[in-house]
Amino acid sequence: MEPKYVSREMRDYIIEMGAETITWCMQCGLCTALCPWRLVPGETSEKFNIRRMLRLGQMGMEGFEDETVLFACSTCGMCVKNCPRGVKIIDNVRAMRASIVGGGGVPANLRPILGSAHANGNPWAGPREKRTVWQEGLDVPRFSPDTEYFLFVCCHSCYDPRSTKIAKSIVKLLKASGISFGVIGEEESCCGESMRKLGDEELFQKLAQSNIELFNKKGVKKIITTSPHCYWVFTEEYPTLGGEWEVIHYTQLLVKLLEEGKLKFSKEISKRKIAYHDPCYLGRHSDIYDEPRNLLASIPGVELIELDRCRDLSLCCAGGGGRIWAEVPMGERFGELRIVDAAEKNAQMLTTACPYCMNMLTDACKSLNKQESLEITELSEVLAEALE
Amino acid sequence: MTETTNRSILVVGGGISGLSAAIEAAEAGCQVYLVEKEAYLGGRVARMNKYFPKLCPPNCGLEINFRRIKNNPRVRFFTMAEVVKVSGSPGDFDVTIRVSPRYINEKCTACGKCEEAATSTFPNPFNYGIDLVKSVYLPADFCFPLRYVLNPTIIGTEEAEKIKAACPYNAVDLSMTPKEFDLKVSAIVWATGWRPYYAEKILYYGFGKNPDVITNVMMERYASPDGPTRGQIVRPSDGKPVEKVAFIQCAGSRDENHLPYCSGICCLASLKQATYVLDQNPEARVFIYYIDIRALGRYEDFFVKVQSDPRVTLIKGKAGEIQRLSSGKSVVQAEDQINGIITKEEFDLVVLATGMVPSTVDGELPVAVARDSNGFLLDSDGTGIIAAGCVKQPVDVATSVQDATAAALRALQFTVRR
Ligand SMILES: Cc1cc2nc3c(=O)[nH]c(=O)nc-3n(C[C@H](O)[C@H](O)[C@H](O)COP(=O)(O)OP(=O)(O)OC[C@H]3O[C@@H](n4cnc5c(N)ncnc54)[C@H](O)[C@@H]3O)c2cc1C
Repeated sequence: MEPKYVSREMRDYIIEMGAETITWCMQCGLCTALCPWRLVPGETSEKFNIRRMLRLGQMGMEGFEDETVLFACSTCGMCVKNCPRGVKIIDNVRAMRASIVGGGGVPANLRPILGSAHANGNPWAGPREKRTVWQEGLDVPRFSPDTEYFLFVCCHSCYDPRSTKIAKSIVKLLKASGISFGVIGEEESCCGESMRKLGDEELFQKLAQSNIELFNKKGVKKIITTSPHCYWVFTEEYPTLGGEWEVIHYTQLLVKLLEEGKLKFSKEISKRKIAYHDPCYLGRHSDIYDEPRNLLASIPGVELIELDRCRDLSLCCAGGGGRIWAEVPMGERFGELRIVDAAEKNAQMLTTACPYCMNMLTDACKSLNKQESLEITELSEVLAEALE
Repeated sequence: MTETTNRSILVVGGGISGLSAAIEAAEAGCQVYLVEKEAYLGGRVARMNKYFPKLCPPNCGLEINFRRIKNNPRVRFFTMAEVVKVSGSPGDFDVTIRVSPRYINEKCTACGKCEEAATSTFPNPFNYGIDLVKSVYLPADFCFPLRYVLNPTIIGTEEAEKIKAACPYNAVDLSMTPKEFDLKVSAIVWATGWRPYYAEKILYYGFGKNPDVITNVMMERYASPDGPTRGQIVRPSDGKPVEKVAFIQCAGSRDENHLPYCSGICCLASLKQATYVLDQNPEARVFIYYIDIRALGRYEDFFVKVQSDPRVTLIKGKAGEIQRLSSGKSVVQAEDQINGIITKEEFDLVVLATGMVPSTVDGELPVAVARDSNGFLLDSDGTGIIAAGCVKQPVDVATSVQDATAAALRALQFTVRR
């Protein structure tokens, strides 16, 4: 065995990058034992041990920079939520990634992603001027100073053809409710949540600054987000950078509109047995568990199915923390476990409230060849279908 | 009934701490009133199978204390009783006690005829709900006082009348009502002990959902000869004997999401319970998942002894999610940090080593005593109210007894005018 060396400089550098709580860890190992990687086989599962990775960081020791280890965490928050010492493990992962990415050590597969976010303001290689293509024929209102809500559509739902259906459905729902909302359009940039998690701090600062300046210039006071990731970063990270607005996830707003009688889901939909998958950034990270369920339950004839791991214990789709861009062999994808669970419970549909989750679950469903029996949707699509 | 004496003390809680304080004070010549909430004395210790480090059954220790109480005219004890009000000042307290109706008077010989007549059943509180008791029941085989109790929810029913009719000694009195009385005492020893941490709050262990995940206090009941299975350690799901058992240390303890402190005794309790499993089935295997083994002082010897048993595997790593397989086995996963290997083992039974929560953790107290952020009573010099035992800190029996003796002395000091 080769000797390993402790480096105070490295440790201090990591702490400076944002891993303030790394020294709180008492090495109990609960994080490793609760990590979703334990549920799948394969190389990453064998190599990635979050307790060990943090220990290396704690001591500034080499070994964590191996891409399979450093970029494995999907930031699901299962460990953070349950850590006996309240260690902010995701912040520490982010800082450790930043210590490598900041020095130019971006993994090859992530270069085009970060490059696109730099150049186009979105990670999906879509030109800026195409950001609003999904709106064609929908007559989506423009945001003006007298508009109440600014609707911020996740880049994924602006560019990914399957995902644009989410944006369209949300617009349909908001229009049906009669509330005042509007989009800004091409000048909007990616919220930067995943870029920051990947350790590209500089890129995140650039995206955030550009959005904060834009939103404030336009007179934004209230924001509706379509994605829980944008919701989380706007509520948790933008305020310290000068972006302070009233932010609401669309599921929260729809529940309110439903209660006020401004929306009604009265039409029966094609599927009845529907399982709900809690997105990490909506559930564990933001404590929003009931709203999506209440919305589903309000559709006539729907039978809500709970998956084995739900709510606080929800299993990650594996799309967070930049993992949506990772190539993962079949049989090692967390999403496949969700599909199997839903199928075993005889669900006809598996729905969720996050574009990333929808994306990951759709892939998993295809790789297990279950598309015929299990439909994957995003909640807004289901709700739009149930509108009269 | 009003008692007036300025040389008397009140002890609240009839567990090992309260019993010790009461006896010590009485044997020093003081009048003692002992108030116990349950229908029997002995507290949590009465519900253990054996206690470490000597592994003797609790009954022998408790028996001696019960005899000392019976033989000492200076101790008066009240079961099913609670303190409702305390006023006055150190050296001169007025206390109101409320006694709930037992519906069984002192004529009871514990013959069991009433129980035969009873038809409805309830979860057995003594056994943490593992089995059921009839609506009229003996709290435990060796309980003190050895007298039946009637479940108040059947009052007014035909069943209650049948039970009354079945008693040959006229011991069933359905007209009993709650009674209140006042006492005058110089000092109060507060020894209301602990309760186990609510294990269902640790979601990832699935306690309450997975029937083969139990807590350490339940394990004491399974292993006890007077327990729900008459001492057989079995899988709750199918009643089969166990071959492979996991103990999960710090189940909620040393965890700021649950109990931020270490209860100090759970490591020893699990080591002790490992011996229960192995004594019963020499072929069995035991795994203990731990963060650190805390066996202080002389207890190190006990740890080393159990550790050296080849049938015991210690895994340094806090266990994660417990998954139940369709085969009925429960899988525990944890990293063994000694060799860096991520382990997954299948078990018949998983025991959660949950910590001790002070009985004073929530709710109002009839006395003004300061509590720490976890609900343990703080030392309050000069107030005349003295905490003793596990209500003050999570400790073992030996320390509880020492603490109770010290508390008795401090209580006695308030009975002499200075
Ligand atoms: C799983 C486990 C195994 C253990 N095994 C051992 C062992 O082997 N050896 C060892 O030394 N220690 C052991 N312990 C520790 C031991 O249980 C405690 O040290 C002991 O119970 C402390 O006694 P106590 O009288 O302070 O509290 P308790 O035993 O809790 O007694 C308190 C009494 O007060 C009563 N009470 C509560 N509230 C009120 C109220 N408001 N009014 C009136 N009465 C009230 C209760 O009913 C109870 O009778 C173990 C602990 C656990 C969790």
